[in-house]
Amino acid sequence: MLVRFWGTRGSLPVAQPAKAIRGKVARALVAAGGRRFADQDEAEAFIDRELDFATGNSYGGNSTCVEIEAGDGAFIVCDLGSGLREFGLDALRRCADGHERTYHVFMSHLHWDHIMGFPFFAPAFDPGARIIIHAGHDDAEQALRRQQEEISFPVAFDWLRAKIEFVTLAPGTVYTIGGVQVELMEQQHSHRSFGYRFTDAEGKITIFSTDSEHKIEKMIGEADVADFFRNADLVICDTMYSLAESVSMKEDWGHSSNIVAIDLCRQGAAKRLALFHHEPTYSDDDIQRMHRESIRYEELTRQDRPLEVLCAYDGLELRL
Amino acid sequence: MQWSEEARDGAIIACPVGRVDESTAQAFVEALVASVDRAAGIPAKTLVLDLAALEYMSSRGLRALTLAKRKADGTALPIILAAPNAVIREILAISRYDKLFTVVDTVAEAL
Repeated sequence: MLVRFWGTRGSLPVAQPAKAIRGKVARALVAAGGRRFADQDEAEAFIDRELDFATGNSYGGNSTCVEIEAGDGAFIVCDLGSGLREFGLDALRRCADGHERTYHVFMSHLHWDHIMGFPFFAPAFDPGARIIIHAGHDDAEQALRRQQEEISFPVAFDWLRAKIEFVTLAPGTVYTIGGVQVELMEQQHSHRSFGYRFTDAEGKITIFSTDSEHKIEKMIGEADVADFFRNADLVICDTMYSLAESVSMKEDWGHSSNIVAIDLCRQGAAKRLALFHHEPTYSDDDIQRMHRESIRYEELTRQDRPLEVLCAYDGLELRL
Repeated sequence: MQWSEEARDGAIIACPVGRVDESTAQAFVEALVASVDRAAGIPAKTLVLDLAALEYMSSRGLRALTLAKRKADGTALPIILAAPNAVIREILAISRYDKLFTVVDTVAEAL
């Protein structure tokens, strides 16, 4: 199973302003200390060896879109955020090389940041493509059609040429879709959200749990969440706020924290956590700080087996 | 979970012992809320949570603090966290809970 992150930002896509890029270049030049590099490969090796991630790279700014390569050859995509645009272009390239033109989409929920990429999804204009949108919500089609009404977008939903179907899934049922076992769990979020558990034929498990608030009043009953995460090879979890924010000024905003995500993964004996749905006001330095603090929290609270704590970024690929 | 209380200088000092994790979180919540009720009923000027004998606190423990604070705020009872060990002090910082609660090095400073 391969997991590829096309969009990892929450609420709103963001772009790096010139000042941020200039700052990274300046820090890199200072770190290089006057060294010369023979070519770009040498320079990139220096970046990998000596620069922290926030200086030498970027966590990116596209909103939620995660691809899972597994199953019987169809594409599997979680959410239709702005990262879907680049996924779509890459998918067309793979289809030109013979990839099957079937897309299984799994929607966590229908908020704007999780559907905004669909009008720019090039495969939706491919008459040979089949796009099946699976959701725990029965109004997914309404949400997608509405954002392409003329008041909001110049291309109507009915102009899309692909065969587009909508399927409503229910928690408590184990589905086999695209050659992968799929289960879903209802989560706490405005208009509800759903987490997904994907298991491939080799038994590799990825959890996609975004836009999920773990309410303080229900924390003693979180065993069901830990059970949903059980033995996962990768848990992709909403870690948008600090724990303090999530129980105070941002309570009821529908999101979770790095601390709770780590504790739930540990309770479920998951192997790896990817911090996800990054706060749009966070710079790359802020996200890196949050990642380092999360790693430290895991170290401080480790009982036996370590939980690997990664930080998702646009372009990250993980082979499980 | 072991839990003791003493009254001193108009405050109630509550002393949990051990760890607050998934197995002890429920007991911690119950004991803490009971201490809030007793302190508010006196009424004490402050509830001091003496963390010196607490080895570690998970997110359940931190969130239990918030539940207690909400109850205490209803009676204008301040809660002060005292004498956390280095691990808990780091956890309070990482979680930003040191922005929600007053944290002091000793019980004496809280009184």
